[in-house]
Amino acid sequence: MRECRVSEFFSAPSIGPRKVIDLDGIWLSLDGHTVLEDITFSLAEGTFLGVIGPNGAGKTSLIRVILGLLRPTRGTVRVMGLSPGELRHELHHIGYMPQQVLFDPLFPVSVYDVVMMGRTCCIGPLRFARRSDREAVMESIAAVGLGGSERRPIGELSGGQQKRAFLARALCLETRILLLDEPTAGLDYDAQENFMSLLAELKRDKGLSVIFVSHDVAVLARFADEIVCINRAMHMHGKPGEVLGSDRLREAYRCEVDFLAGISGHEGGGG
Amino acid sequence: MLAYGFAQRALAGGVIIALLCSLISFFVVVRRLAFVGMGVSHAAFGGVAAGLAAGIDPMLAAGGFCTAIALGIGWFSRKGRIHEDTAIGILFAAAMALGVVLVRMAGAYNLDLMGYLFGSILALSWTDVVVIAAVAVSAAAFIILFFKELLFIAFDEETATASGLAVRFVYYGLLVTMALTIVVSIKLAGIILVSALLVIPGASGLQLSRNYRGVLLAALVIGVVSVVLGLYLSYAFDVASGAAMVLVLFAFFLASMVLSPRRSYMRRLRGKAG
Repeated sequence: MRECRVSEFFSAPSIGPRKVIDLDGIWLSLDGHTVLEDITFSLAEGTFLGVIGPNGAGKTSLIRVILGLLRPTRGTVRVMGLSPGELRHELHHIGYMPQQVLFDPLFPVSVYDVVMMGRTCCIGPLRFARRSDREAVMESIAAVGLGGSERRPIGELSGGQQKRAFLARALCLETRILLLDEPTAGLDYDAQENFMSLLAELKRDKGLSVIFVSHDVAVLARFADEIVCINRAMHMHGKPGEVLGSDRLREAYRCEVDFLAGISGHEGGGG
Repeated sequence: MLAYGFAQRALAGGVIIALLCSLISFFVVVRRLAFVGMGVSHAAFGGVAAGLAAGIDPMLAAGGFCTAIALGIGWFSRKGRIHEDTAIGILFAAAMALGVVLVRMAGAYNLDLMGYLFGSILALSWTDVVVIAAVAVSAAAFIILFFKELLFIAFDEETATASGLAVRFVYYGLLVTMALTIVVSIKLAGIILVSALLVIPGASGLQLSRNYRGVLLAALVIGVVSVVLGLYLSYAFDVASGAAMVLVLFAFFLASMVLSPRRSYMRRLRGKAG
């Protein structure tokens, strides 16, 4: 019965593309500081939306608001047509990759175990993994190109491979939406290219809607369908060409930033 | 030795305690709860003393006391107003100090304090063994039923939270399980030494295997063998059972470090970083 709400949302007739995420006038304060100011945008089904903004712009908070982990002070959030309270039971349709998984490299789990963690909420409390779960995990591992590495300890993989493993974990749910918080931070150029083309391919094949938080304007210019620029308040929302060529982007960053010119930068850090 | 009733009870209770502590020690080590275990076990002294002063069963009092302290530590550390280690440093010293005052007030001078502090092979009654078994069954049930959640949260709490898991419930559940395990283990292992049972088996297992299945297996084997051997040594040399068990555990830990396949791996990891 639980899955009905989401399948209903996706099967209901709609004029134009469905809004899988719909944010309307979101304000958020944390410890008395305004973190987000009047954020309004929506994510159409199957769209790759890039979110850019300087450090401390509230990008990560925005992701947490969408997931229902932070409650906005004002405004409404609808994800797949559900309020945050209803979404709590449907989180297995959202694949999430946090900015940095700060795990102990000696933590005794294999790639398979890590990806299986993603299935935890699908399996449900007080239940054990069934064959379908094991198959979903193997499929997901193969999809990110880590087939054959299932048994390797996660700490033994390279940075790029670890990111792929975490992507596999985000994909092995009944994923409709991917929320990626700076997934390519800390990767070298090749690993980043590999990750991005893999992501583009998976998005196309599975019809996923993606929100991709990044500093890297050059990457987003190539892969995103739309870009939102925030710095506490929303500065722009549009096609990459419109947003990236605009003076308002510089305004949002409040400084001249070289990588806005389209040079491939590898900026890490908080958002 | 096994002809004696006390030895049978110590062995039965000891094996159950060893299995239980070793199982929990895995999470204590990967979630870095070793200091929480220290804090909760030392706080048991306050609980035992409060029980004596109030005229109720000391172990029952310690159970309530330790559970409250464990939840208090968890609450402090989750709220983030005070660091976890600071909270433990405050709470366990206060609980021990309270214990000293209450023992004095209760006039319980005849109490076998050494037994409570370092464990005694003579201490268990059959009722104790039944209580140990009951706690072990419920604790093991919690860990087995929530194993995948515990593992996920220990590995990556943020994503676990984002996927809608009951993170808080599982965390507090683990703390309560730990507190009750500590309390039922006190008579045999001692207030001062029981926390070693919650750390060393898991730490040794982690040296020997790169996967949690192997770590758990090694921890359980090392835990049971150490406790049985420790009890024998306690009997043979007439030393406190907790001390004997901890020394055997420590020997196993040293051996597992020497045998660890991890040492070469760590070298490689360092090589890669440098």
